[in-house]
Amino acid sequence: MGYPASAAREHDLELARRAASGERAAQRELFLEQRTNVHRALFRILGSNRELEDLLQDAFIEIFRALPSFRGDSTLGRWCQTITIRIAYLTISRRRPPGVDLALVEESVSSDVDVRRHVVAREATRRLYAALDRIEPKQRIAFALAVIDGKSLTDVAELTETSMFAVKTRVWRARRELMRRARKDAVLSAYLDELQGGES
Amino acid sequence: MSDDERLGPPPVEPMSDLAWSRIERALWSRMDGGETTASSDGTPPASRRWWILAAPLVAAAAFAAVVVGTRSSSPPDLVAGDESARVVSGSAPSAVSFGDAHVELDASTTVAMSHEGAQPIVLLERGAAWFTVAPRMQRPQFVVRAGDATVRVVGTRFRVARSEERISVDVERGRVDVQFRGGAVKIAAGQRWVSESPTTILAVADMPSDEPVAPVASAEPARAPTPDPRRASEPLRTPSEPKHVTKALPSPDARPEAAHVTDARPEAAHATDARPEAAHATDARPEAAHTIDAERLRAEYDRLAALEPRDPESALTGYLTLARGTSRWADLALYAAARLAADHHDRRAETLLGIYLQRFPGGANVADAEQLLARLKGDRP
Repeated sequence: MGYPASAAREHDLELARRAASGERAAQRELFLEQRTNVHRALFRILGSNRELEDLLQDAFIEIFRALPSFRGDSTLGRWCQTITIRIAYLTISRRRPPGVDLALVEESVSSDVDVRRHVVAREATRRLYAALDRIEPKQRIAFALAVIDGKSLTDVAELTETSMFAVKTRVWRARRELMRRARKDAVLSAYLDELQGGES
Repeated sequence: MSDDERLGPPPVEPMSDLAWSRIERALWSRMDGGETTASSDGTPPASRRWWILAAPLVAAAAFAAVVVGTRSSSPPDLVAGDESARVVSGSAPSAVSFGDAHVELDASTTVAMSHEGAQPIVLLERGAAWFTVAPRMQRPQFVVRAGDATVRVVGTRFRVARSEERISVDVERGRVDVQFRGGAVKIAAGQRWVSESPTTILAVADMPSDEPVAPVASAEPARAPTPDPRRASEPLRTPSEPKHVTKALPSPDARPEAAHVTDARPEAAHATDARPEAAHATDARPEAAHTIDAERLRAEYDRLAALEPRDPESALTGYLTLARGTSRWADLALYAAARLAADHHDRRAETLLGIYLQRFPGGANVADAEQLLARLKGDRP
């Protein structure tokens, strides 16, 4: 945001107050301000836009429902992310892991290097999230936020409302499980290596 | 893995404008239904529960769609009044009154009408419509939203068209304000704005600004199965008839009156924009080729979109021809072909979507294509 922290906090508190009072213009302003932020958090954890329309609604419903409790201790954006992550956790912990055939390799039809890279990246991402579907939800969220989204462990701990030690443990367990699953999958294995190489 | 081969973290694919519109509409419906009331266990509402709360709206929309889709030439307009409604026109143009505004929908057009406070809001989900809005005087502005564009009206007759993420606004009478991604322009009678060149205003010579317009109550369009030829001709403009004056605005919020005017046909300035401030005409023929080619592709795309309801097979064939190129229109056309095939339960849909995702992995419709493909695969026994 382009204004000082105190002004930002006042803006957040005022917007939250107006939205919580039921003012539709303020609710819409909050929605437009935060939708990219909320979408990004959900996309990082779930890996595609496939189910996100309902989930984005759920996240904003929960955000509006909880607005009276917003005290400005963190930015409105971070507060919304925390709620969003809670929604994502509830969603993935309720559903059963789908059956995905990781051996299915899509043939790229193009010889264009950029197009080919796009296709390989898409396939690697698909395999990564298919593997994440089989991992315990808290570990998955910690891995998605820390390794895929590149957030610091401190940030992840704050967003997931847990200790940094717990986050470290979850990321480590998620990584171990993913590597185990990637043993017979060269595409996923190489992609995991690359992601972890870029991890700060 | 070498640096060249690095794939990087998966990109966050943006939601389409259409998806955001759907989400926002459903969100307000749920909130109006009281879903934000605190629950005792602190858990969020179930993901699919929203339809119970949206049921009255859906019922109203279904009623509106049935009324609009089945009426013939004689019944009066559907009056939405102050209620929220969603209207879907079928293969023929339709008309609907919304408060004191009259909305003429092209074939295959969807609009959602509601109020924000006292302000009437129309969301154009797809297609195109003419709006005849009575002068607002002391009444709230009439607002039309299409994607990222917001059109504010003080009393006029104008048309908004939407094809995927492309939006255009034509003003026949009066003046409207268009806000688009942080910029704002004023469009006067006889002028056109398109989202692809948001800082440019086109003055359309073949749309006379002083054409007499029937009063709102009698502005009923013909109920023939084919669209009004005058309206149908607009999206079909071919390279041979670029009858427009181009005003290149220096910045999104610059006043149109201060604009520099580039004239493709000297006589067009006199024909369409005789206001004294619309001066400084210069010849733009050397730079016209690229514009004309883009205009030709767009015109062909619009023609096929209009053809869909009448002759889907020809439209699909046309889309596939248009999809052979590498232009932005090839991307849109290939996805349109796949969507059309899916709409008609054509088995080619899955194949086309697969080809689309491979040919245009960073395309404008990737997310929608993936969703559609997943749905088709899910539907398959």
